[in-house]
Amino acid sequence: MVFRARTRSTEEWKAVTSAISTLVDEATFEANIEGISFRGMDPSHVALIDIHWPNTTFESFECDSAVKFGVRIDELLKVIRRGEKKDSVEMSLAEDSTLLVKMHNGYRREYKMRLIESSASATPLPKLSFNTKAVLVAGSFDRILSDVNIVSEYLSIKSEASAIHFSGKGDSGEAEIVLDPKSEGLEELNVKEQSTATYSIDYLSKVTKAISTAGGSIAAEFSSKMPIRLEFRVMNLGRIHFYLAPRVQD
Amino acid sequence: MEFSLLVNAFEQMETTTSRLSLTDYLVQLFKITPPEEIEKVIYLIQGKLRPDFEGIEMGLAEKMILRALAHSSGKNVASLLEIYRSTGDLGDLTKEAMAHRNQTTLSSQVMTVERVYSVLFKIAKTSGPGSQEIKIKLVTGLINECSPREARYVIKFIVGSLRLGIADNTVMDALSLAFTGSKKNRVLLENAYNSSSDLGQVAKILATESLDAIEKIKISLFKPVRPMLAERSPTIEDVFKQVKGSAAAEFKLDGERIQVHKGKGHVELFSRRLEKITGHFPDIVSIIVESRISNSIFEGEVVAIDPKTLEFLPFQVLMRRRRKHRVSEAMKNYPVYLNVFDILYYDGESKIQLPYKDRRKLLEHLIAEINDRRVLLVPQEIVEDEKSIARYLSKALHAGCEGIMVKQLESEYRAGARGYAWIKLKKEYGSNLTDTLDLVIVGALYGRGRRVGRYGALLLAAYDPTSDTFKTTSKVGTGFTDQHLSDLYNNLEKYLLMHKHPRVDASMPMDIWFEPKIVIEIVASEITLSPIHTAGMNTVKENYGLALRFPKFTGKVRDDKIAEDATKIEEIVSLYKQQKRTISN
Repeated sequence: MVFRARTRSTEEWKAVTSAISTLVDEATFEANIEGISFRGMDPSHVALIDIHWPNTTFESFECDSAVKFGVRIDELLKVIRRGEKKDSVEMSLAEDSTLLVKMHNGYRREYKMRLIESSASATPLPKLSFNTKAVLVAGSFDRILSDVNIVSEYLSIKSEASAIHFSGKGDSGEAEIVLDPKSEGLEELNVKEQSTATYSIDYLSKVTKAISTAGGSIAAEFSSKMPIRLEFRVMNLGRIHFYLAPRVQD
Repeated sequence: MEFSLLVNAFEQMETTTSRLSLTDYLVQLFKITPPEEIEKVIYLIQGKLRPDFEGIEMGLAEKMILRALAHSSGKNVASLLEIYRSTGDLGDLTKEAMAHRNQTTLSSQVMTVERVYSVLFKIAKTSGPGSQEIKIKLVTGLINECSPREARYVIKFIVGSLRLGIADNTVMDALSLAFTGSKKNRVLLENAYNSSSDLGQVAKILATESLDAIEKIKISLFKPVRPMLAERSPTIEDVFKQVKGSAAAEFKLDGERIQVHKGKGHVELFSRRLEKITGHFPDIVSIIVESRISNSIFEGEVVAIDPKTLEFLPFQVLMRRRRKHRVSEAMKNYPVYLNVFDILYYDGESKIQLPYKDRRKLLEHLIAEINDRRVLLVPQEIVEDEKSIARYLSKALHAGCEGIMVKQLESEYRAGARGYAWIKLKKEYGSNLTDTLDLVIVGALYGRGRRVGRYGALLLAAYDPTSDTFKTTSKVGTGFTDQHLSDLYNNLEKYLLMHKHPRVDASMPMDIWFEPKIVIEIVASEITLSPIHTAGMNTVKENYGLALRFPKFTGKVRDDKIAEDATKIEEIVSLYKQQKRTISN
């Protein structure tokens, strides 16, 4: 069994591990010829992350058979954070069920991490259809969340044919941000049907902050009172989907 | 099997107090339960995950459940506590909090019995550092996948407040009806249960195999056998009338009855209530482990002795060993002796069908093999007539025993059965009732004055095996120290009910009710007729039951007895009749 994957910088792993760390403590990655994938739900089953990281996005990728490996995600994150931005990262599996992490750019770091028993219960994806799709610059979405968060824990999103409203209401007051296709930060808006839903800012913000450090854009898709799906489009990272169940109003 | 089916049955059973309709609901439930899942369903009904003797506990404090619930419901612990104060039950709180939850979840799977059971089992099995956090997550995940109604039962199960009021006998009636079409096969199930102490296994074999297979369930190592019990007899003449001829009289020691299971190099001890208590008596365990005997099950009474005077110490001293901590300290200060009185299994074979006199011979052999001064044969003498019984009783009382046991020489060991093969005889009764009664606490009045914040009086009941209910016979408020009162208050908390328990028959109004669980020892001066107590109602006199006069708590909480081991109604009736006879003499 051979598994060896190399990226040109630490950014990709940093984004992936910190995103996963917002939901779970232990993660089981699956590697096969096609690449690396991960799927997991938080313990309260409110959010789900589904990652498919294809072999083509790696500098080099070797995997001759499907293999699962479980890690304590905060341990892995700590290791990755030791690396510099420009360090290359090579992950490989050793025979003694450890994960080797080599980070290198003149200065060479090598970590050997103990793997944990992988909890291999398959998480099904929610079956959804979306009536609204908005593509935002990652930094812009993060800013909206921070703007609303000072008055509310929850973000309400309302889509119309030509605009999308982000708002929040709390004891101290209200906040509203309206974006239309001409606005800075909104790259695309596609509304099949007007939709309104509310989501926890805490969940959205943690995952967005984790991944948007790598830049890119976010495609947010949702329908009224249904889960939202964020697709993080980051260079060299393949597909990261984040699902979040809505809140219902009292 | 969908978990909601079980929840439907639980909800129906919660609303009834009639044993007949409980049985009906159970029969319906068992009929729709797939045979391979009946075992789990039975355990869940009993409010456990495995038979008691395996000692599996959820190990989750109330505080932890509240935290899990805070995660699932999105409400903070403070606001949950506020609802908790009005509902008084964590299960009800869960239903309430989950029904008004603002955060939805992603999962839409149908909850199954299998899934609930396996997560609960995982929660129970998780231990070690960080286990509380893992348990909280498992609870959170589980109740998030449940509907509010389902979540209510999951939490009730975890905290042990399921209180459906279903006795094992009712379950066996229902099993018999559901799988054999008739209640009469209940006896076979009962025998199998008495030998294995595992109702889930009995049900599984009944559902997947046959009645023949049920009859093949025999006693086996490391599964406690339900103990054989003695009838109480008020007088020597009465004892003699029962035994007719010669019998074995033995000291009745005031200790703790244990069942010793010895396999190859391995020993387990079980209490009278079938709990694993191996850890309470490490001294006894090491003697047995090191002995040459193999594959045996035997019973004895453990008694504490004063190392200086070598006198027997009272039962309460022994109960110190029940505490989880400081067993080693208790071991040093209160060494114990094991007085062996019966053998059920020897050299890999069941011996319960041997006549008692032959089992005693086997015991003598066993004791010789163990060969340790701390493991003894219980003193015995063959009695032939009333005079020799009287002589032996006075000898036993003189030696500090509570009385004697008289056993029929030809009798088999009948697991789980009470009968006149064994008769216990305590001190002679005079016009005053000198014998103690073991009664179950079923209700209470709140205390006033000095007793504010505790219970002022407890309502006590005796057991009626015919109707499988508890009938009241006394309201007691004396004999309690402040320490007793606060200990009882704490111990009773987990059995608290807002309404009378379905198995309790009482006509006296109470402030609060309890699940019949805790047995305490009571002395009284005599038994009188009472229009309000339900024990013995209409047996002695129309519209009258029997009450204790001047009842007083002796200070003994009978931790070693389950509610069904309490003094029975018929014993009270016979004590009443006996007392009348003595007075009229």
